Amino acid sequence: MGEWWTAAAAIAGTIAVYAASKRAYRGLPVPLMLPIVTGTIFIILFLLVSGIPYSVYMNGGQWIESLLGPAVVALACPLYEQRHLLKRYLLPILSGIGTGAVIGVVSGLAFTAAAGASKEWTAAVLPKSVTTPVAMDITTTLGGDAPLAAMFVMVAGIGGVVVHARVMNVVGVTDPVAKGIGMGSAAHAIGTAKSLENSETEGAVSSVAMTVSAVIVAFLAPLAGNLFL
Amino acid sequence: MRLVRIVIHIVVLYVFYWTGTWIQDVLQLPIPGSIIGMLLLLAVFVFTAATPKWLQDGSGLLLGNMPLLFLPVTAGLVVHGELFSLLGAGLITAVFISTLLVMGTGSWVTQYLLKRGERYRG
Repeated sequence: MGEWWTAAAAIAGTIAVYAASKRAYRGLPVPLMLPIVTGTIFIILFLLVSGIPYSVYMNGGQWIESLLGPAVVALACPLYEQRHLLKRYLLPILSGIGTGAVIGVVSGLAFTAAAGASKEWTAAVLPKSVTTPVAMDITTTLGGDAPLAAMFVMVAGIGGVVVHARVMNVVGVTDPVAKGIGMGSAAHAIGTAKSLENSETEGAVSSVAMTVSAVIVAFLAPLAGNLFL
Repeated sequence: MRLVRIVIHIVVLYVFYWTGTWIQDVLQLPIPGSIIGMLLLLAVFVFTAATPKWLQDGSGLLLGNMPLLFLPVTAGLVVHGELFSLLGAGLITAVFISTLLVMGTGSWVTQYLLKRGERYRG
């Protein structure tokens, strides 16, 4: 009975925190105010102050988390709806995303090796350029911790949004399709939201890049992990 | 009525997810079951008359509120004090630099091939 009650409270509390942080982001739409950033900070502070152990909170939290699997499956819907983009620019899009995916995994391996990071850390860094639920799955498969993976995914997403315009200038990219590929491959859903503000084409391409990149990295990261970890 | 549709759509997505994890289990694949499930659903869209519209209410709700779904996981950082270390800060910097490289190369390669394609077409 007690367990049932705490689970219900955790679920209701998480939804309330999410709704409030979503509203706060609407009032101040900057990357550091994203619901995942403010919501995470709020729940962590709440757990620390109240002394409620994370495992008790997860009695309810696990029910919300269990919807992540079906949410990843649902990514097939927007991808299929944008299939005309893939058909029209198949080679440039796939080459761009593929290059980004390889560079991301290889540089992740190189940097973690140079820093002397353990297997667990490396497993959390490798999938950092793909959307959070997929990154957490990849990291778990590689024997790392999902929360750490989510943390690195957020760094990539927020960092990517902040530097996107400058990076495009440096590499001399002006085409909206090419801009969307860089955003979706490097900064996943957080970047896609920003690309949608820039232009419809850039946003649509970014959402395609985010999903295709997730599939490519889901194959690439375990391969790299098995070879080098 | 909409609530019923949402529940049915999410149940269908779950079936694909479970099938994906089952395939991963049986074949001992290193690829996450969720991605296998997504590819299965994509295959259904491509090879049958089914369209994403059939799952619209459920998939829209899940995709539109993705951050809520991983809040419980990211709150798990509460038991990860080791992130606030020299190595943690170094890796955050490394992730940032790697993000720049992914973004720059991905966009550059795409634009290069787009322009080359235009030239061939005349």
